[in-house]
Amino acid sequence: MLTYRSPIVRLKTTPTNCEDKMTGKELLLRALKERGVRHIFGYTGGAIMPVFDSMDKMAHFNFIMSRNEQGATFMAQGVSRASLSTEDPQVGVCMATSGPGAMNLVTGVADAQMDSVAMVAITGQVATGVIATDAFQESDVVGVMMPICKQTYMPLQADEIERTVHEAFYVATTGRFGPVVLDIPKDIQNQPVAEGYQFNSAAYRPHLPGYFYHPTPAREPLKKAVELINRSERPVIFCGHGVINSNAGALLQSFAEKNRIPVAFTLHGLSAMPADHPLSLGMMGMHGTVEANRAIMNADLLISFGMRFDDRVTGKLNEYAKNADVIHVEIDASEIDKNVATSVAINADVYRTLHVLVNDPMLTSKPRRRWHASIAESRQVMAEDLQQEIAKGTGDDGKLLMKTIIKKLSELTEGRDLIVPDVGQHQMMSARFYNYQTPNSWFASGGAGTMGASLPMAVGVKLARPKERVWSISGDGGFQMNMQELGTIMEHKIDVKIILLNNGYLGMVRQWQTLFFDGRYAGTPMLSPDYGKIAAAYDIPYRKVEKLEQVAPALQEAIEHQGAIMLEFICDPSEVILPMIPAGGGFNDMIVKRPTPARKGGKK
Amino acid sequence: MKRRAILAFMQDRPGVLQKVSMLIRKKMYNVDTLTVCRSRKPGVSRMTITLREDDEARVLQVIRQLEKFTEVISARELDTDHSYWREAAIVRLEIDPEQLDILKKDYTFEILDHKNHDCFFIQIAGSTRMIDAFVAQIGEEHIVEIARTGVAALEK
Ligand SMILES: Cc1ncc(C[n+]2csc(CCOP(=O)(O)OP(=O)(O)O)c2C)c(N)n1
Ligand SMILES: [Mg+2]
Repeated sequence: MLTYRSPIVRLKTTPTNCEDKMTGKELLLRALKERGVRHIFGYTGGAIMPVFDSMDKMAHFNFIMSRNEQGATFMAQGVSRASLSTEDPQVGVCMATSGPGAMNLVTGVADAQMDSVAMVAITGQVATGVIATDAFQESDVVGVMMPICKQTYMPLQADEIERTVHEAFYVATTGRFGPVVLDIPKDIQNQPVAEGYQFNSAAYRPHLPGYFYHPTPAREPLKKAVELINRSERPVIFCGHGVINSNAGALLQSFAEKNRIPVAFTLHGLSAMPADHPLSLGMMGMHGTVEANRAIMNADLLISFGMRFDDRVTGKLNEYAKNADVIHVEIDASEIDKNVATSVAINADVYRTLHVLVNDPMLTSKPRRRWHASIAESRQVMAEDLQQEIAKGTGDDGKLLMKTIIKKLSELTEGRDLIVPDVGQHQMMSARFYNYQTPNSWFASGGAGTMGASLPMAVGVKLARPKERVWSISGDGGFQMNMQELGTIMEHKIDVKIILLNNGYLGMVRQWQTLFFDGRYAGTPMLSPDYGKIAAAYDIPYRKVEKLEQVAPALQEAIEHQGAIMLEFICDPSEVILPMIPAGGGFNDMIVKRPTPARKGGKK
Repeated sequence: MKRRAILAFMQDRPGVLQKVSMLIRKKMYNVDTLTVCRSRKPGVSRMTITLREDDEARVLQVIRQLEKFTEVISARELDTDHSYWREAAIVRLEIDPEQLDILKKDYTFEILDHKNHDCFFIQIAGSTRMIDAFVAQIGEEHIVEIARTGVAALEK
């Protein structure tokens, strides 16, 4: 169960005499401080300058300037995601000016919403007197953000600000987490509070009669769930993001062990329990393992915790797990029965549900030997091919294979490090071939799949978990989307190990082109700059790795190096990540064998 | 397609209407009617939305996603058997008084104004079907303008 710090009781009373009456901006910062915020990521500009000025005077926050506001959103996400399993969970905060600054936050906010990441985004807005006149750098931030975040706020009086910020944090961090946006007009930032203003954050309780979440599972569905589990011959546990978000990995593991039920992971469920656990089936879905997907296809019961049956998980819905009952444990009621009809719905917090389930005396453990034997069989389907490929380490063109690099990284770090992938083939390779041992050690943009997320997210992750080693793993495409954030890494001496898997292509799209577009590579080949020079420009050590025998030493050097370092690996563009269930296909359409090279068409 | 009515109570805050209509749009519906009014409770609005959908599960999805909005206190579907659905309309007509008289037999309406021999303003309230029938019986050619409120609904 994850609980965020509640506001600290303040001893100093609010000043009342006129001169030192507090202003909106100071109340904003005070509320952030009380909510345990330590880092603020952002970028200044006309409409947010007053807040920046007060922040500077206050000298409490570690301000980190991203090089583009989008970077700040992912840094903030990194803090939220990585810190939630620590003693001191923090909410990532990003800040930007009005208009273009705010619009640059959009992608990261939408990404946080898709991935249920608690985040507070604060934007300056033009003064109330000129709102809706197309004033300089005015954008309708609330209008733009409303459909892509959990809640938006525009306080219109200094007196409202503290209450609003506390409510915003409450909304972001309760129920299903999500980003909230506060758009604060510049005049309100500067406005002094009214005479006699008082706010007691310790006593504050948000008044939200329309906001419900039910952390505690109801008895009836739990009873039915237990019955289904006891009856089941071929159950599979689904470990989703909700397991990570409620710190329930250890509970899930003991629930699985006690009942001898295999566990399949969604992309965001990875690292909730050790990846090489005997009951682990690895990742499910489009690029999931054969054993996970076959088990799901043959299961008679899916016990899913904190996930939403996204299309990348289910494939074709009318063929999905046709013979299985579904128990769906999910804090967000609107996810239940959305894509997959449930037999038992438990609308509750995953941790609390597991806490009850794990000790339920009515649960009977069965060996389910035949089920495990059939799973063991499907584990073998690709095992040999994969092992051979990984051992060979290079493609037909002699260039490196991503699988081999990730596998090596996993071995050298014993699966203990924090992995922040970008989006593409290298992401799926990182999901599949790193042997996650540390709880909550995998931080990916999943629901939105935003290229460029990795480098800035790794910054936030490192700040939240300074004692652990953090790897940002990007492709040549995604890296170039946010490589300006090397500036932030340089300036703040952030110790992230940067791995660039350069295959000269938008590899994931290329893979689709290979498989479904007759090998016509439209818009996917890409020239890269000299990354060595770029790294040098940012004063970051750099190694280029082209040969198999250089892989381990380069990784070892990065492990031992204190501070940021960048490794570029020259990778085989024709490497594919398999298995793959084509988009819109069913589990029977799973591709497990590498296709023969493209026949017709194709520029390259 | 089946007409559905969703009744929702929500906090009376700026932006709530936008959220609701955004959700309806996102779910690819065209709003049939949408009425908002104050409820008995101060600060709480009452909204009735009608839209067309045969699939029960999809309606449930809309309701759950409505309820997910922080401002929405409750939402549920109203079925025709257990609730009243009513509309009101103001109609400007150009019609001979005798012809209008004939309609009085079948419909209850109130004449708000009558000028220049054949110009009437009338008000009528009832079920959607009744108003539709009324309009059909008068004939489009006699209607200069019509303002309908959309459905207000109340459980029995
Ligand atoms: C912002 C954004 N634009 C486009 C895409 C579509 N897309 C998904 S993966 C991918 C290719 C990524 O290429 P690269 O970063 O080189 O990684 P690789 O697949 O080669 O490992 C693209 C273009 C995306 N996910 N995000
Ligand atoms: Mg690439």
